Amino acid sequence: MKPASFVYVAPDGLDEAVDALREYGADGKALAGGQSLVPMMNMRLARPSALVDITRIAELSGIRRNGRTAIGATTRQKDVLADPGLAVEFPVIRAALHNVGHAANRARGTFGGSVAHADPAAELPALMLALDAEMVIRGPDGERVVAADDFFITYYTTDLDVDELLAEVRLPPRAPSVWGFTEVARRRGDFALAGAVVTATTDAAGVVQSARVVLFGVTDRPVRAEGAEEALVGRRLDDGGIVREVAELAAEGVDYTSDVHVPGIYRREASVALVRRAIRQAASLLGG
Amino acid sequence: MAIDTSVAPAGRYVGQSIKRVEDPRLLMGKARFVDDLSLPGMVHASFVRSPHAHARIASIDASRALALDGVVAVYTGEDLANLRPLVSDGIAREELLAPPRMPLPVDKVRFVGEAVAVVVATCPYVAEDGRDLVDVTWESLPVVVDPKQALEPGAPLLHESLGTNNCAHIVGSAGDPARAFADADHVFTKRFSHGRSTGAPVGLRGVVAEYSQEGGGRFTIYPSSQMPHSLRGVVAESLGVSVGRVTIRVPDVGGAFGLTVTVFPEDIVVPELARRLGRPVKWVEDRWENLATSVHSKGMECTMDIAVDADGTFRAFRVHLITDAGAYSSKSSTPLCDSITAATMLPSVYAIDDASFTIDNPFTNKCHIGAIRGVGWEPGQLLRETAIDDIARALAMDPVELRLRNMIGPEPRRAAFGQTYDGGSYIKSLELARDEIGYATFRERQRALRTQGRYVGVGFSPFVEPTGWGTRSGHANGQPVNFFDSASVTMDPDGSVTVTTGLHSHGQGHATTFAQIAADELGVPFELIRVHYGDTDSAAFGMGTHSSRSAVVGTGSIMAAAGEVRGRLLELAAEMLEASPDDLELRDGQALVKGAPSKGVAIADVANFAYFGGDARTEAVERNGLTATSGYDPPETYANGCAAAIVEVDIETGEITLEQIVAVEDCGVVLNPMIVKGQVAGAVAMGIGIALLEDLVYDDTGEFVSGSLLHYLYPTTAEVPMMGLHSIETPSAVTVGGVKGVGEAGTISTPAAIVNAIADALSPFGVSIDRAPVTPMYIREVLRAAAGRAAVRPAG
Amino acid sequence: MSIEKREGPTLVQLKVNGETRSGIAEPRLLLSDFLRHTLGLTGTHVGCEQGVCGACTVLLDGEPARSCLTFAVQVAGSCVETVEGLAVDGRLAPIQEAFRSEHGLQCGFCTPGFLISADAFLDEHPEPSVDEIREHMSGNVCRCTGYQGIVAAVQKAAELRREAADGD
Repeated sequence: MKPASFVYVAPDGLDEAVDALREYGADGKALAGGQSLVPMMNMRLARPSALVDITRIAELSGIRRNGRTAIGATTRQKDVLADPGLAVEFPVIRAALHNVGHAANRARGTFGGSVAHADPAAELPALMLALDAEMVIRGPDGERVVAADDFFITYYTTDLDVDELLAEVRLPPRAPSVWGFTEVARRRGDFALAGAVVTATTDAAGVVQSARVVLFGVTDRPVRAEGAEEALVGRRLDDGGIVREVAELAAEGVDYTSDVHVPGIYRREASVALVRRAIRQAASLLGG
Repeated sequence: MAIDTSVAPAGRYVGQSIKRVEDPRLLMGKARFVDDLSLPGMVHASFVRSPHAHARIASIDASRALALDGVVAVYTGEDLANLRPLVSDGIAREELLAPPRMPLPVDKVRFVGEAVAVVVATCPYVAEDGRDLVDVTWESLPVVVDPKQALEPGAPLLHESLGTNNCAHIVGSAGDPARAFADADHVFTKRFSHGRSTGAPVGLRGVVAEYSQEGGGRFTIYPSSQMPHSLRGVVAESLGVSVGRVTIRVPDVGGAFGLTVTVFPEDIVVPELARRLGRPVKWVEDRWENLATSVHSKGMECTMDIAVDADGTFRAFRVHLITDAGAYSSKSSTPLCDSITAATMLPSVYAIDDASFTIDNPFTNKCHIGAIRGVGWEPGQLLRETAIDDIARALAMDPVELRLRNMIGPEPRRAAFGQTYDGGSYIKSLELARDEIGYATFRERQRALRTQGRYVGVGFSPFVEPTGWGTRSGHANGQPVNFFDSASVTMDPDGSVTVTTGLHSHGQGHATTFAQIAADELGVPFELIRVHYGDTDSAAFGMGTHSSRSAVVGTGSIMAAAGEVRGRLLELAAEMLEASPDDLELRDGQALVKGAPSKGVAIADVANFAYFGGDARTEAVERNGLTATSGYDPPETYANGCAAAIVEVDIETGEITLEQIVAVEDCGVVLNPMIVKGQVAGAVAMGIGIALLEDLVYDDTGEFVSGSLLHYLYPTTAEVPMMGLHSIETPSAVTVGGVKGVGEAGTISTPAAIVNAIADALSPFGVSIDRAPVTPMYIREVLRAAAGRAAVRPAG
Repeated sequence: MSIEKREGPTLVQLKVNGETRSGIAEPRLLLSDFLRHTLGLTGTHVGCEQGVCGACTVLLDGEPARSCLTFAVQVAGSCVETVEGLAVDGRLAPIQEAFRSEHGLQCGFCTPGFLISADAFLDEHPEPSVDEIREHMSGNVCRCTGYQGIVAAVQKAAELRREAADGD
């Protein structure tokens, strides 16, 4: 299966890239790792008339630390996985990345590419919600910052306009003190049938001050279970009684996708189990 | 020359794990698969395919495609009306309907992906561009995707001229099953819905063809094929030329698994395009085409009844199978490849004399089914072995003991539906599998884990399977087809040897194993043997490699042919040494006097003498030289073994972890243990896929929704554990060398072992596993239903 | 700041197995097709063009990459290594020897992708456990072998590489 024709543009500056995207409008697409876009092009499900290769733009790549950690959008997933600083500071990122495809996909696939592609069953968009990350966007009018909460709209759709680029992902100044990540997939590396990420910040006594509970793979985008998050505040994660209650709460109010392969009720039941397990994972990290 | 079946061909090479001669060029990337071929002036084809499951072709307008720069031509079914239809009438059964199939239809399409036109262009990318520009208008027709619905009167008909969708309704009976069912203490019924799978080799199938005016016109075709001569016959007939006008030259093939036992429209159309255009034409499928439009397999709705006495003795088996045949009767397998095979091997390893079957083979608006590894033997195995485990649970009997109680002994015997088993290790292989999986301590571990809320289970699957497929196997197993296979052995003047065969190799290592056989028979170093196959101009006639036939057919034909050459060499050597041929042996490249090894002559010198010795040569050699060709159509021969599996089921998410898998294989005398283990392992992996991962899914409208490898799931190293592979060698009582076939065994046996293990793991919940593949979603569905039943059960 | 634009067929030059190679490529020409049909290096195979089967795996600037998901124009100036570069003077590399001795191939179609992936894996994990091998190699699909010979081959290759290193 061969793709349809397109014009190939490879700028080495961010402004040139934005200009090119503006020129081609809705017919143009940014090309980063290609691991999500090119399969769709090969199947002719996507037929952009122009590809703007953004991998030569130095300022889009790399992990920077300037009070906060920021991951350049075109940083390869493999490099994010290997970064020793991130491994210590945000270990949940590594846990998520281990489930993303296989080594050859991660060698080329980019962190920002996966986030911007917004496949509802993908791990990285859910991670962004769980970390309350900020999306730094560059467009013709300059730079704007959008919270992860406002970035993911629906299937393969984010707040990015056709002439905008995700430039970097800014992580919060303080990492959550505990985390849990778990998913169900048919095989290792496949997209999730359902997944849960739990992050929480606790005080010295282990009591939750803030928490995020995110489900992915179950509906048209990753979703926060805000009821569950509220229920965790002021409690201890290893309080056996609340875990069940919170997991049930987390599964409420989600419009579970049902398709010919997976019924919605499966996703709902799996969500309950996975949130429970993610909370237990986080609880096991309490106390160092 | 009488065939000596008592002598195992073991010698210096046979029985050894000789490293494969095929490997160096494959490892260096020097193989030539079909898409690696390039001929001068070659153009590329892309097929326009139906997006509808059932629709009339109202019009085809190629004008936009033809206007595209680089598009050379576009052809429709009407343009190619000179081609003769494919008619799957090769199996001589009166119940079988054989609707004709034009390579490109002119009236209507019957499944999503059916090709209606072909675009030819200067490169594959432009060919696809052209394909997108062919405008077809359609008139939708009602769709039928459920095989049971397809059997109902009033169902939409796929082939109107037949007046029915049922390609074949066949019943069979042995003994007195009605009485056995009436008399038995219990009758258990099992229903099973088997998934739809395919071979899906990693290598994509294709055809390159050229046409020359030489000799009044001849085709040279380079197809992915596992049966060159058989393909040649079908293609020649459809092209309307004699077989002598067609050369099939098969390049390297990236796996087949039975896929290319079927002959496809592309196999006919591409050569015809080469003829029309006067230039070579290449077509290679893409992965969507492979999954959607090549060959499907094993989709079946099954009902089995087993009559059992209270002590667990099986009295009778009865089965009704409804095969989901897809839109056409494949050439040459027909839908019977799955249904009749499942039915006739139903008694399997059990002492059953009373049995009956009914099979129906309805057409549906899906890709047609054909012969894929394990054919119907695998769903039949899965149905029966899961039913047996259900019975064990119902009677509170141990599943291994229940089987041992009913198992046949190791001697040759006649099976209920008329097959003649040539002996095996049925009991021994089940016992070995039981021991190797650690059954003795398993139940205790299972109990302990249950108290922790963890659910592990064990499953067994002993089997017997027809191998060495030929005329006798075919007839005995319900598919009357006649075979001819042969091999040719030639020793050159310097002692080099060429073996040609009508079998094929696409991963099985025949260039190595056949050389082992010839080397032992001729007493020459292995390195002197070259094995040649795949070219109908130069390889001896045969019916290809499939149905686990090549070890048997290859051994028999090559030993016979090599044996003749050996006889002539011995006679000549006897002349040269002034001895009697009976006093001589051929060993390590020498013709030696037995017991006096210093007295000998190099075989190379004997060979030279054969060619150039003038009047001093024997008459036989003067007439026939050192070339011999021999046919071999084997008697029935049956391999056996047993698979066992341990799984853990996560009852919350439905995920299944395959912890351990054991496969015991008895394929008679083993030619190359390394290669046999590799065949079993590959087959087991495919069985894991059938049990847990692989399903070709259509929605209610006939839309095909498994068209990518993200939906059709291959087992990977993560899903396939390191296996316990064990070998028993019970020589066949009847084949040359005591060899039996291997290749399908692990696929036939493994799914039942895994599904039994899953049901065993979940036995506390009282669920029945009635479907494959067993997915996490299905596990949750059965557990949810069981919880629902528990909830509504009245208290007390 | 510059911007490279390619429309229609243009020249692409890169290093393949240490040699400078060049060919004409439209932007949409996949690297897999460029290597196979433009440069005649047919050892890299195409099994899906969806990035799943791994048969097309090559090394791109030292990292494993799916050549079916890469456009030739993207890698102008880069270094690509394919299966044809493994053997030296007709002598099989340790990874190839290991696949042969452990029967890690049958039809050979997936093999080049496995060799490249396994070699890259061993570069980073010279002493892998069976579990690590199984996890890492799950990105390449084989339909023939059932993976037993492949896992054994990767273990054997690790051993052969260690021996070669010790011998230096």
